[in-house]
Amino acid sequence: MIRTRNSWQIMADTIFALIMRELRSRYGNGRLGYFWALAVPAAQAAVMVLIFSSIGRKSLTGVPVALFMLVSLLPFKMFFKTLTQVSGAIDANAGLLSYRQVVALDPVIARVLLEFFHFILVAFILFSGLGWLGVDVLPDRFLELLLACILLALLANGCGLVVCSVALYWDSVNKVISVLMTPMMLFSGVFFAASMIPEQYWHLIAWNPVFHALELMRDAWFRSYATPAGSWEYLIMAVVLSNSLGLMLYWRNRERFILS
Amino acid sequence: MIGFENVSKYYPTRNGRSYVFREINAEIPTDKSIGILGPNGAGKSTLIRMIGGADMPSAGRIYSDVNISWPLGLQGGVQGNMSGRENARFVARIHGYRDTREIEERVADFAEIGKYFDEPMKNYSSGMRSRVTFGITMAFDFNFDVLLIDELTAVGDAAFKKKSEQVLKQKYASSTLIMVNHSVDQLRQFCDAGLVVYDKNIRYFDDISDAVNEYKRLYGV
Repeated sequence: MIRTRNSWQIMADTIFALIMRELRSRYGNGRLGYFWALAVPAAQAAVMVLIFSSIGRKSLTGVPVALFMLVSLLPFKMFFKTLTQVSGAIDANAGLLSYRQVVALDPVIARVLLEFFHFILVAFILFSGLGWLGVDVLPDRFLELLLACILLALLANGCGLVVCSVALYWDSVNKVISVLMTPMMLFSGVFFAASMIPEQYWHLIAWNPVFHALELMRDAWFRSYATPAGSWEYLIMAVVLSNSLGLMLYWRNRERFILS
Repeated sequence: MIGFENVSKYYPTRNGRSYVFREINAEIPTDKSIGILGPNGAGKSTLIRMIGGADMPSAGRIYSDVNISWPLGLQGGVQGNMSGRENARFVARIHGYRDTREIEERVADFAEIGKYFDEPMKNYSSGMRSRVTFGITMAFDFNFDVLLIDELTAVGDAAFKKKSEQVLKQKYASSTLIMVNHSVDQLRQFCDAGLVVYDKNIRYFDDISDAVNEYKRLYGV
């Protein structure tokens, strides 16, 4: 017999079912998927280490280059991966929307959670590896760091919802996002901290909430680094705004999601 | 009872809104099985999808005090890149089951498609598809008061047709059906009452024969 459930329990059951289904379709066919999830950021960080050590630098803002790179690379990748995953979430689960328990928002939430847990897992493994190599990887203020990560995931959720709705009217939006990803790496300060560039150029990147998230993470992680530019207020404002806009567009278009 | 309150449904097209239904106000009883009649494109499937919560009205609302199934049909309800087993598991999970293995096995037994049960459903033939979709509903003890069926029994070989008709009668002796089917004979066989879709609205008839006659008169078939 079926339990009587309230709407929150139904939503939780549905999101659980969706997460299990996504896990299976993504990693069900062998474990190579996880291998690449670990290998790609590790290789990228290694390349940066090579570049910086070839110009004779071992540390950035008093932090070993590899650690510095991973601390900004992994969250940045999480943000963009979530964004692209979320923008395709509804389409990929369209057949399941015909059950009344499943609403179009559920696959979105499922993918945000999935990407977040994935990010935590990859980060844990890579930083453990770095620690094993003798780098001091323990974050200085862990809770602040976690908060910044959660805010970044929520930002991806909000932006992803906006992209979902835009994609209803304009298919190519996903291609535009992947084109934007490379310059965004620069504009998010993945390879440098705010203190490494002159103050008069900060305005070029300070508009970007992802940059603020990365700065706040560095601030929380490295004892030797205090961010001169990262702002909690700005990041939280961006999270609230993007999610409000995303939910508004979602509600306005909720009929169309079912059709597509 | 299923009630319609100012229900309209339209789709945006290049020439503006195309109405499928316009301001339906009706209450239809659910103590009898109902056959839905109407030509192609009249909105039979849309109606059944809206009743089942798979689609929503553009305006107005549909309310009900009974437990209604999702629309069982060939389109929707399953995800093509998931296997039959995964689809069954998914449906069990969203209905609150923790242990899904028993249900998976029951669906497999009903569908009788062997190893294809673990293949992605997009590779299924339409007959295999309907076996699994049908199996998924039959495997649960949902105790739906109303079962929505959209052309489900139209495909499949004679043996499967017979089997599914039997199961329908047996297992859902306690529940009623709302079904769309192009075969008037089948509608007569399963349904007592009829609903004719006409002029972007619906008309309910207590007797399926009256509904069939009205349908023939209105559409000249």
